[in-house]
Amino acid sequence: MGSSSDVLTDEAEDSGDENVDTGQFKEGEKVLAYHGPLIYDTKIQKAEFRKKEWKYFVHYLGWSKNWDEWVGADRLMKPTEENLEKQKKLFKNQTGDKLSKGRVPAGKQKSAAEKDESKTENKPSVGRGKKRKSDPVSEAKSPEEPDHALKIPLPGTLKRQLVEDWEFVTQMGKLVKLPRFPSVQDIFKKYTDFKTKRDGVVEDSLVEVLNGLRSYFDKSLPAMLLYPQERAQYASAVPHGSDISPSSIYGAEHLLRLFVKLSELLVYTNMEHEALTQLQHKLADFLKFLQRNQSNFFLTSYG
Amino acid sequence: MGDHVQQKPRDGTTSSHRSTPAATPPSSASSPLKKGTQQVELELRLLEAFAIYRPSLLAGMHRHFILFGLMHHLERRLNQRFSPDEVLQLLDRFFNLDLLEPDDEELELVNHKEDFSLPQSILEEIKRKKISS
Repeated sequence: MGSSSDVLTDEAEDSGDENVDTGQFKEGEKVLAYHGPLIYDTKIQKAEFRKKEWKYFVHYLGWSKNWDEWVGADRLMKPTEENLEKQKKLFKNQTGDKLSKGRVPAGKQKSAAEKDESKTENKPSVGRGKKRKSDPVSEAKSPEEPDHALKIPLPGTLKRQLVEDWEFVTQMGKLVKLPRFPSVQDIFKKYTDFKTKRDGVVEDSLVEVLNGLRSYFDKSLPAMLLYPQERAQYASAVPHGSDISPSSIYGAEHLLRLFVKLSELLVYTNMEHEALTQLQHKLADFLKFLQRNQSNFFLTSYG
Repeated sequence: MGDHVQQKPRDGTTSSHRSTPAATPPSSASSPLKKGTQQVELELRLLEAFAIYRPSLLAGMHRHFILFGLMHHLERRLNQRFSPDEVLQLLDRFFNLDLLEPDDEELELVNHKEDFSLPQSILEEIKRKKISS
């Protein structure tokens, strides 16, 4: 490959190196790098002068070494305040309000000095799946348009339900009474019954979607669907080591919260645009079903 | 986990109860050469699909959405419907599904406890409606 460390160009910016001039950045330096529409924290592993410019082999902090790659200086930036702001902004645009993918869970994003600092190195961010798909595009010099985000619009009355849920639990110190009837599992069953009645069959693909939702619900309930006020209740309802599935004791209130997090979870699947569109339709139909049965499925007041 | 034909998922979810036409081989009227080509195409599309949908994810919580994605991908490109079981059978040709284990990523996601928070936009939208009503 031929290192060209002896080809030190005078045009290279002075990066304040003491020893070898490797262009704008130096080995071991932590810099910000564009990859797809977002900016990531990286560390420069190697620097080489190739074809009249400096190239840097970067490692994305928190990601597996498989993602390490050669990039030009055009994709890199010093971690100045201004650039860090830029990074924050891009993440923000992808997260939070809209149900977009490529979200980095809040706990890991900044230097959350506390708990996760030590773990951050080993945790890939949520955008992983997205990164795979956009690989061929990663040579872009500037951030491209964010990938199509899976937007799952919630019907208005269900949004109101979420806000009331938020008020009950976080503002009024109330909790839903467990176990819930109907449970999440019951609701899925009612939905398939409804579809069978209406269409005569339930498509394979829909079965997978519903099973997928259930799987997500069971795994993600304790991880991201609970308000802090509900943790104690969860701990006693699902004791450590028991095999009780959350989908058998929690109900519509918590299922609805899953829909807020759903696109974030789906990022891991790296699903193609068209498949996402299909999925969107199926989810929208399910949400309408929830809406039609709102008074039966949701509590109007909590204990 | 993981037998092949009658795959019973670990998470206790139900498998589909509606069968779709199996991936039928070409009729005997077509030449042996053509048969080979179709087979090759199928396998190519599968390998293409695996580049998008990581098979290792089948061992974890994303299993069903991965299957959903694979089913969709194959149907789109081969103009043929595959049931989840059929997709798994096809996968079995290339991977030892028994050896798949949940990803590290999933373990970290599950262990990392994050409090739920309602997106500002929803809160604001509903509050605005309340004020104006």
